[in-house]
Amino acid sequence: MKRLLLFAALLGCGSNPPPAKAPAQVAAQGLDYQDPTTGSYRLLRNPASTVTRLVLDLQGPQGEMTRGIGFNLKGGAGIRFGKFEDGLAVQSGGVYALGTFGISDPGEPVAVTGGVLPDNVLTVGVFQKDRGFPAQDSGAVLLRIAIEFEPAAGLAAGTEVALQILKAKVIPEDIGATTDDPFFLQRKLRMKDVVIAAGKVTAL
Amino acid sequence: MRTEALAVFLLSVAAAAAPADRAASAVRSAAALSTREGLSARSTLLSAQGTAIVQLAHTYDGYRVLGSHAVAQVLPGGTVRTSTQELLQNVSVAGEPFLKPDAALALAIDRVSPLGTPVGSPTIERIVFPAQLTGGLPEGVFDRRLVVHARPAAPYVWAYQANLELANHRVFSVIVDGNTGQILRNTEIRESFAPIASRGTGLGMYAGAVPVDASQLADGTYALYDTTRGTLPNPWLERFTPDDSGWTPVGMQAWFEAHDSRGKPLGSAFLFQQNPVNDWGDGQPFTAWSNENGQNGQTAGVDALYGTAAAWDFFKIIFGRDGFDGRGTTAVAAVLQTGPLLADNAFFSPFLNVIFLGAGSYPGNPDGLASVTDLEIVAHEWVHAITFGNQLISSDESEEGGIVEGTCDFFSQIIEAWAAGPRTAVIPDTGTDWLVGKGITHGGFLRSLVKPSRNPRVPDGWYGGIAPLEPHSKGGPIGRALYFLAQGASGNPADESYSPFLPQGMAGIGNDAAARIWYKAVVEHLFGDLNGKNSFADARAAGIAASLELYPDDPAKTVAVENAFAAVNVGDAHGAPPHTLVLFADFRDGDWINRAHDFYSNRQVLPRNETVAPRITVLNNANTAVTWSLGGLSLWNGANQFTTSGGVINPDGTWTTPNESSWHAITATSVADPKQFAEGRAFLINIDMDTDLEQDAIDMGGIAVSWFLGAALNPAHSVFTAPFVDDTDVAYFVDAYRSTWPAK
Repeated sequence: MKRLLLFAALLGCGSNPPPAKAPAQVAAQGLDYQDPTTGSYRLLRNPASTVTRLVLDLQGPQGEMTRGIGFNLKGGAGIRFGKFEDGLAVQSGGVYALGTFGISDPGEPVAVTGGVLPDNVLTVGVFQKDRGFPAQDSGAVLLRIAIEFEPAAGLAAGTEVALQILKAKVIPEDIGATTDDPFFLQRKLRMKDVVIAAGKVTAL
Repeated sequence: MRTEALAVFLLSVAAAAAPADRAASAVRSAAALSTREGLSARSTLLSAQGTAIVQLAHTYDGYRVLGSHAVAQVLPGGTVRTSTQELLQNVSVAGEPFLKPDAALALAIDRVSPLGTPVGSPTIERIVFPAQLTGGLPEGVFDRRLVVHARPAAPYVWAYQANLELANHRVFSVIVDGNTGQILRNTEIRESFAPIASRGTGLGMYAGAVPVDASQLADGTYALYDTTRGTLPNPWLERFTPDDSGWTPVGMQAWFEAHDSRGKPLGSAFLFQQNPVNDWGDGQPFTAWSNENGQNGQTAGVDALYGTAAAWDFFKIIFGRDGFDGRGTTAVAAVLQTGPLLADNAFFSPFLNVIFLGAGSYPGNPDGLASVTDLEIVAHEWVHAITFGNQLISSDESEEGGIVEGTCDFFSQIIEAWAAGPRTAVIPDTGTDWLVGKGITHGGFLRSLVKPSRNPRVPDGWYGGIAPLEPHSKGGPIGRALYFLAQGASGNPADESYSPFLPQGMAGIGNDAAARIWYKAVVEHLFGDLNGKNSFADARAAGIAASLELYPDDPAKTVAVENAFAAVNVGDAHGAPPHTLVLFADFRDGDWINRAHDFYSNRQVLPRNETVAPRITVLNNANTAVTWSLGGLSLWNGANQFTTSGGVINPDGTWTTPNESSWHAITATSVADPKQFAEGRAFLINIDMDTDLEQDAIDMGGIAVSWFLGAALNPAHSVFTAPFVDDTDVAYFVDAYRSTWPAK
């Protein structure tokens, strides 16, 4: 290959100017995020974000009543999914009532969890477990996640990092009532697919 | 009531008056009685010296005032000396009683008839009742609580006193409030024959020919009833009704379970009794079903009573302890127990102060035990009374269970050694083989204190995750440490008493010093709360503290305690640096599950059918690498019998879990120090609630929609695939997720 290039260079000798030199790549130092412009469920940049740690809020459509949401998000090379103070990869936005109706026990188990699956897939979920609480308006911050810059990946500045929602589901408002016939109730004990729009992550 | 002890009045009275009248007149003059009060002669006795002793009942409107009386002595010369110490003052009762005598008697009969059938002609007497006398003998003594009788508001009330006799010869005096019908006082009047302590002879299957401390009862026959040991009644025996034989619930005794001729229990128990001679037992294995009280059945009673007395005397002579509970409560051995849980077993009932000893199923069952009445077994059970005294329990789920059982095994051998010797204040160093259960296993043994692992279910030393073992098995290291303390450990790897944790070996301090240290440690330093919180490390610390207190000028003994425990991997040898420690991480740390289920140490929750990396902690060694293996000792004998093992350990140390929702045992062994390992348990759960074959956090929504439905309509929504979904599912899911796919 080197020999061929040399031959080509020799052929090119003459009055033609030398070819333009490719600009040197600049190693990225952080991340930028641009919110999605469409979609009903959207991951939006939280003001607390920094260059190396993006905090994204999941916000749903105003007026749509839900009881919880979960999704899987695949991240491209150059980013990793971060955790919050409690060690979890997700933080509740405070919309959903997580405890048991009528009970105040700070140690009570709540249906909030998240983790990072193989292939850099973030999976998170925040759910109301007690059907005694009403469904909540999804038009607010339902949960937060964090995306951190991974310097070891050696991304070049300007590189776009892929974010791909693989699956997303909500618990709808109507999950039946305990007074329902079990046959019909069982058919309502299901989650509903939704589409979440992720923004654009660019290495800086 | 008058306060003077004895007031003497010299009065001149008409010589012609009868002694009773003179006495009453003299007392009336001495005491300020109202016009409605009177004195009625209850009895008059004439002494050999001619003095008339007159008892005077205090009356009010002619009715006796209960508990108020005076005594007068009318001397031959006419002088009267009176005692009014027991004469109540200011007696006054308003109105008339509402109840008629017949109604009051009916109430009294109702009260005592549960204790027996009333017989004869009960008496009923209207009286004045001083409220201060409310009470009587304890009633309802099953749980040692007194029945509290309502005390009238007025100082004196109208009442009826009924005296009743029952068919079982019990006699009661019941006081009924004349207006309210309430029972004010119930007193059992008991006058019975006192059994005569009588030493007989016995022939035990294990003890051989031995003296037996028995008693002769009222009918002249003998019973395995030792009135010389025990001063407080036995709670279990208080359930039985005394008869006129002289038997009481006080005094050590041997009972048996009654059976039909095929050995089926009849649900009743009896004292070994009605023996016309004071010779007991034939020394042979028991075969005489339905004739347990006969000579063959007595054999088990002889062994049990002999062992119980030996253990009682051991604690009395060596430690000055009054009985097993330290208060002199009567101890009872109940033998010839049968049934699947009892025939080959023995246990101590802390609330009854009774040991129940199995009849043994051998030889009918070749794998069964012989009569479970050998001295060391009897002693083992009674040592439970010592440990229970400090609320230490033989817990299935904590190391404390091992402390308790190891202690019982150790003292069973110490008592055996002491009983085999002259039974002085010094415990001999010989006299036992340090094998528990050798007698009852027809040539085998249950546990070895020298080398516990001779029984493959019993570990030689502590390891992380020993707590879930069956208590007797996890007692192995404690028993061995105490053996080392008493008898020493060998430095020769070929010897049974060699320990790789203390390869240089150690010298023992003798049975006497070891027993004294450990008794003090258990009684004065190890306190529980029936929750099993003490660890083996606590036991070691207690032993060190006891040694320092007992032998402050002999530091070698404390060093021996340190080394003995180090030799079973509990702490380090004296002066040695901390050894490698492998701990199966306990993720609970006081969280909700930990609070709801107290036994979650050494346990993790992981997803099934997934590749996971159980968490392990290696301390005190720069090389924290471990090798994983499936299974562990708990597979042999864990408290949770459902523990299993499965899956595949991968070359990188991860574990591909099987697709089974159950407890799985796995073991991590230190690469740097293979002596050190930890066994953990992992519960493998379902986390694919939406059955899409992807185990992601979205699945938790399935738990949420089914949470606390009366009956889960979709078992896939349960981490256990169970027909119910609750907070345990939530907590387990979160934990499995946190440990398997943590955010970095």
